[in-house]
Amino acid sequence: MNINKSNPLLLHPLNKWMKKKKWSWFPHQIETFRHVRTGSDVVVFAPTGAGKTLTGFINPIDDLIKLKKFKGLHTLYISPLKSLANDIVRNLEKPIKELDLHISFQVRTGDTTPYKKQKQKQKPPNILITTPESLALLNSYENAKEFFHNLKYIIIDEIHTFLDNKRADLLSLNIERLQTFSPNLQRIGLSATLKNKQDAKKWLCRKKPKIVSYENSVLPKINILESKERIPWSGHMATYSINEIYKEIMKSKLTIIFVNTRAQAEYMFKNLWLINKKKLKIVVHHGSLEKNLRLKVENNLSKGLVDCVVATSSLELGLDYGDVEKIIQVGAPKGINRLLQRVGRSNHNLNTPSEAILVPTNRFEFIEAKAAIEEIKKNNLDKIDLKDGSFDVVAQHIFATACAGQFDIDDLYKEIIKAYPYRKLKLNDFKQLINLIQDGGYVLKNYDQFKRIFQLRENKNIYKLVHKRETRKYRMNVGTIIENPMLKIKLGTKSLGNIEEVFIQNLSQGDSFIFAGQVLEFQSMKNNLVQVKRSKSLISKIPSYSGGRMPLSTNLANSVRALLAKSNMWDLYPEQITEWLKRQKNISKIPKKDEYLVEQFPRKKNFYTVIYTFAGWHANQTLGFLLLRGFKEFNYKPLGFVANDYAIVLWSLKEAKEIKTILNLGLLDKHLDNYLEETSIVKRLFRDNAIISCLIERRLPGMEKTGKQVLFSSDLIYTVLKKNEPDHILLKSSYKDAKKNMIDYDRLREILKKIDKKIILKKLTSISPLAVPIILEINRENLSKKETDEYILEDLENEILKEANVLSIN
Amino acid sequence: MYYQLINFGNEEFHAYPNKSLYWKRLNTLIISDLHIGKSISYAKNKQFLPPYDTKEILNKIFVSLDKIKPSNLIIVGDLLHDVFSTLSLKDQDYKNLSQYMKNTDFIWIKGNHDKNIQIEGFKNLSNHKIDKFLFTHIPIETSLFQICGHYHPKVKISHRGKTIFKTCFVHNEKIFILPSFGILTGGLDIHSKKISDVLGKNNLSIYPVGQDKVYKL
Repeated sequence: MNINKSNPLLLHPLNKWMKKKKWSWFPHQIETFRHVRTGSDVVVFAPTGAGKTLTGFINPIDDLIKLKKFKGLHTLYISPLKSLANDIVRNLEKPIKELDLHISFQVRTGDTTPYKKQKQKQKPPNILITTPESLALLNSYENAKEFFHNLKYIIIDEIHTFLDNKRADLLSLNIERLQTFSPNLQRIGLSATLKNKQDAKKWLCRKKPKIVSYENSVLPKINILESKERIPWSGHMATYSINEIYKEIMKSKLTIIFVNTRAQAEYMFKNLWLINKKKLKIVVHHGSLEKNLRLKVENNLSKGLVDCVVATSSLELGLDYGDVEKIIQVGAPKGINRLLQRVGRSNHNLNTPSEAILVPTNRFEFIEAKAAIEEIKKNNLDKIDLKDGSFDVVAQHIFATACAGQFDIDDLYKEIIKAYPYRKLKLNDFKQLINLIQDGGYVLKNYDQFKRIFQLRENKNIYKLVHKRETRKYRMNVGTIIENPMLKIKLGTKSLGNIEEVFIQNLSQGDSFIFAGQVLEFQSMKNNLVQVKRSKSLISKIPSYSGGRMPLSTNLANSVRALLAKSNMWDLYPEQITEWLKRQKNISKIPKKDEYLVEQFPRKKNFYTVIYTFAGWHANQTLGFLLLRGFKEFNYKPLGFVANDYAIVLWSLKEAKEIKTILNLGLLDKHLDNYLEETSIVKRLFRDNAIISCLIERRLPGMEKTGKQVLFSSDLIYTVLKKNEPDHILLKSSYKDAKKNMIDYDRLREILKKIDKKIILKKLTSISPLAVPIILEINRENLSKKETDEYILEDLENEILKEANVLSIN
Repeated sequence: MYYQLINFGNEEFHAYPNKSLYWKRLNTLIISDLHIGKSISYAKNKQFLPPYDTKEILNKIFVSLDKIKPSNLIIVGDLLHDVFSTLSLKDQDYKNLSQYMKNTDFIWIKGNHDKNIQIEGFKNLSNHKIDKFLFTHIPIETSLFQICGHYHPKVKISHRGKTIFKTCFVHNEKIFILPSFGILTGGLDIHSKKISDVLGKNNLSIYPVGQDKVYKL
């Protein structure tokens, strides 16, 4: 087929500019243009570098030119990041200015000045580029309907990042609101390649839904770092390979080293500087750094002034740095999609492959890295699980609706259930959420006189805000991202960024720690500011940041199991890995891909049970707690457990002889509620729920609350509610969130459903080679922070290795 | 109920995990900072805390009175959160209170939150002296031993790499500060400037309150 002949884009206003640049239209751009022109909502799947942003704007620009000097807002562009929004403006500017098109466009984010925001409301641009939170705010203004009533297109960029979290829930509700304001609105989604494209389509599209997809035939080149050093049994810091990583940096123009946690980023950065003999320009970038520092790093990156940046997921999305030649992923990839996203940050040319090197930090991660490379070759991506929307976001949305003016609850309910995450929202739950916004929604009514919204006497379906000043409280609480309590770090008068309060509480005056790549000494804490000075200390702590721990994806876990079982592949691995697996095979067993290996052995007067589930950290953590209870019931006198992505180990005073009886679905049904009650998981989620649903305030001008005070009072509310009103909608909501996100309920259920027939039980006389990594984690977790000096760990490691009789492997 | 024995001003006191203090020799129960009606006061500003605080606090008091049967109950300030708080007291609550007042003498010391509020049947004093002890909401200049409230003391405990905050009873040689008996009340670190200015930093006796036990540090 000759695409050019039938290419309608040859008549597009941008065609002249494309020709000048000697670019041609991509097939997916043509296809998208056709579908949108004929009235379809479309999701476009394409890799980076395939002109995705432009694809979104083709129809809006065409339309705007045809309409000639259209007045008012025509197209809304939603970006997941503020920085990305700014970048879009810069990219849009080029063709529009060069072709002298009469199209106005502006950005609106949390960083936009109030003056500019006011101007935008009076005289909106044709194209507005914004974020989900700013959109929610716009919808809460009284004139929102007039502002949006002519809106023709909404473009959602990077829609794959919006599918499975509370931000997505918020966005979905606001898109439906826009559709109510402007029934002709068309939706265009731009996404990285996904496995379940249909789900993304269902989430976004309403009118004649269409999928447009462009697959890149050039596969990325991904290899595992070849190291002369031995890969450690356990740990996550990759100290062993630092010299080889440095050599790789020297080979490329610009390298991004991705790590999994902020702590790893600081550690890696520090270790690279210690061996930086060539004085390479190495910088660090993560989400806790002060905005100015981050922007400086980003600027220097785009100007090509940097040789290497150590980054967390903070650099996964966002600006394209054309000069990135190589990606180094340190630590487990955890998921295929995530790894691909990271790898895709290098070399934005579609026809040359991206290059990446994986650095496993322990032996299981080596297998995981291998498996990830295999899956990428097969293009076997992870599925994104679309889950039912969270209640607290609906509550926030109800409040926003009330801020915009009086509303009919039937209309609002009908609009909300059009949003995909809320298609199953029950009317009864919705009404409870209305009550939650009205007065807290408590059964006991002590104070009828105090309400936030009230029913009109003449029409009980219509609700209205009691006072305009309440809108300010909504605007303070808008959004779904809740940070842990953080404190600002000050070096002299300069602000370096934020650090978790919990970490600072454990420091004494004079202790040193690493932050923003510098060794700092803790001096004092005043008014929620942490005062520090530079330190020359060689021993320093690394701040840890809770949360954000990504579990191993089910897809990759299955692949790891399959790969482990393929013994004919072992000889291709480094000798230490091969030996490790061979010994495991001789001493115990290598589980087949659908088997669950359970090993039991005595050690130091206790009995150990190791279960290899490959279920990911969240599910394993939950299973560990449940088993602890199961063991108690059978009177095995359990002492503790440790879980990682691959396995769980429990130790008890008595041998767990009936492990096969205990390990089944009944365990989950019987003990889950107790477990949720005893741990702080639900309590912590309740805090998020209370803030997002605007039950408690994030902060109010003039009464600045520290993060801790919010945490504290939400704990009190939680305790009082549990005791007096266990059916309260926010408790229900928190349990729902826990099952959805924190304990991987569905995944655990799937495994337990089939596990009893697939257990391979091995009774051993001592620890097996496969169990060594997780046994080492026990000792790590049980040591206090002060004792975790490296030499102690090494000592411990040697001791356990001797015990396992595997020291000779190396 | 388990209690922690505390010696203060050469007298024997018992600290209970429900955050009350018992003076054995005079059969007197002491509580502080109840902040009854805090949820109503917040609701006024459209902050909807669960409205169960008043009910729970009263129940806690009644349970203690039933068990201990003290001759006196001294409240060292902030019985009520503010003028709106009485709205949360129902007729039945008043009835119950007057029932208990038949056997126990209620002494209500004024706090900064409730200095202008009256409740029928309650003695309302700015402070109260018994022997060499002065009961007052906020400590004053005096050579007497003082038993106070106001600060809602909490203590930071770091152990084995973990840090926790616990509500506590705390005293130095001359001043004793009770924890808040309330339900929705927060707390203040005993090493914060506000408390240090009153108690000093050294020679503190600290008693963190656990689930069913009051500990001694």
